[in-house]
Amino acid sequence: MTMIDELVPQPENTGTRDAIRRTAHAHRARRVAISRVMMILCGIALVLTSIPLVLLLIQLIVRGSSQLNATFFTKLPQSPSLVDPNAIGGVLNSIIGTLALTIYASIMAIPVGVLTGVYLAESRSKLAATLRVIAQTMAGAPSILMGLFGFTLIVKYLQIGFTAIAGSFALAVLMLPVIAISTEISVRNVPDTLREAGLALGAKPHKVSLKVVIPSALSGIVTGCLLAVARAIGETAPVLLTIGGGYLNEWRPLNPVSALPLSIYMNAKSEWPSQRAQVWGIALVLVAFVFVLSLTARIWASRKQKRNS
Amino acid sequence: MEKIMSDATSAVNVGSESVKTQNQIAMSLKDVAVSFNGKVAVRDATFDVTKNKVTSLIGPSGSGKTTLLRGLNRLHDLTPGAKVTGQILLEGTDIYRGDITVTELRTRVGMVFQRPNPFPTMSIYDNVVSGLRFNGIKKKSILDEVAEKSLRDAALWESVESRLKVSAGNLSGGEQQRLCIARALALDPEVLLMDEPTSALDPIATLRIEELMVTLKERVTIIIVTHNMQQAARISDDCAFLLMGEDRAGELIEFDATEKIFNNPKDSRTLDYTLGRFG
Repeated sequence: MTMIDELVPQPENTGTRDAIRRTAHAHRARRVAISRVMMILCGIALVLTSIPLVLLLIQLIVRGSSQLNATFFTKLPQSPSLVDPNAIGGVLNSIIGTLALTIYASIMAIPVGVLTGVYLAESRSKLAATLRVIAQTMAGAPSILMGLFGFTLIVKYLQIGFTAIAGSFALAVLMLPVIAISTEISVRNVPDTLREAGLALGAKPHKVSLKVVIPSALSGIVTGCLLAVARAIGETAPVLLTIGGGYLNEWRPLNPVSALPLSIYMNAKSEWPSQRAQVWGIALVLVAFVFVLSLTARIWASRKQKRNS
Repeated sequence: MEKIMSDATSAVNVGSESVKTQNQIAMSLKDVAVSFNGKVAVRDATFDVTKNKVTSLIGPSGSGKTTLLRGLNRLHDLTPGAKVTGQILLEGTDIYRGDITVTELRTRVGMVFQRPNPFPTMSIYDNVVSGLRFNGIKKKSILDEVAEKSLRDAALWESVESRLKVSAGNLSGGEQQRLCIARALALDPEVLLMDEPTSALDPIATLRIEELMVTLKERVTIIIVTHNMQQAARISDDCAFLLMGEDRAGELIEFDATEKIFNNPKDSRTLDYTLGRFG
């Protein structure tokens, strides 16, 4: 039974206008009530989502920050002994290794990924459609797969062994679809009127892509690349099977290196409580890296929006 | 006049009468039709565009004005399924089948679009010289000279002289459109296509562009699509009237001097349209 049925037959109700007003009034009260309930439900959902995240962050900061000291950032890892169970040293080798891996992976993945993305956006060929499906599948593939791929191809088949280059290759394969897809989206968002303006000036299509479309899409492309780097920096599975690890400050491409996620994995398995505690410090540094990268990406993206508005 | 005479004498094998008209024609359209995936969008376009005049294309929405215009610099080339038939001659050369590349054609037939579309990542200066750079001209002295000349021709030099390195996005809509005109002029085209160039501008900016067109026609032939009939009447010398046919394809109804189209058209539908009875 709707409210209008209740209201219309009432004798004091002189006109339709009055009926509409009264119904609308009653209806408004109901809407407000529904709105309140929904707000409360949303609030509960928000709290439920936040609890694990906040607990994790607090845990990370409290336990991690106590690990951060000069030794942590400047010394190599040590093996604790019964004589000195707290002699764990630092993780400088892992910081250097992670930076080296990220840089090599970016050098490999960013140019190829960006060009693939531009191709996906500008081409209407069957190949482009196929590539797009592959890229989307790859972006969702489990990262251990990239590790296995790097291991099989670089470490074993090409007999290069456990090296920084094998690890960064695996990370690059992981980054590639992320970069390609985000580049494609940014390039597609460049208005066609700009492409036409370039073509109408007698520019060849590749020049229009290079001089007009890519510069216009640049902030989106950079944002995508930063997010891909942020993802790669924390990945454990691809490096686990490829970089070999090590306890020296090593960055050279053809040598085994360490990495922050790898030392988390190794230390977490340690029998020494001091090493297990250090895991929190390493994790905090890693999260800080990712946070800075994501923040930079966000700032880039908002700059782009400002310019476009 | 002297130039026409000397040109006429150089082409001996053609009758002098036809040579005279030949030399006054910038573009010549014969039975031009544009279709998309077999569906005709505009057809029967046959008319000559006279040099150093403004030719307007008028007609209601859907009559194929813009589609026809975009056929004149082969902008349909990249649209899958688009097909242009008939003959379009630029100075006697068939632009689709003749000895001319599409990039050369577009440097000779410039275009200004409906909405100002300066390149947002480039400065004012870089926008103006972008066409030259796209075509491999890099010498700074040439670029500087052309930039100033084009901006002067587009009546924009005074207001931007001191801020050439500023992003083009900082200009007002009217200024942006004049920048786009300067950008097209930088390549020194023979023909300038203008697709409703003032539809996104306020009346004052519109007036400035219209004044500009009248002075510009001394150096470039202008073909303009416009929805605004007063504009067509004010600035154009010749006028093509298009209308959507029974099968929803646009077709050329009448082509004549603008004065005739508006005052004494041959077709009653033209009169109905210009008097505002429909469309």
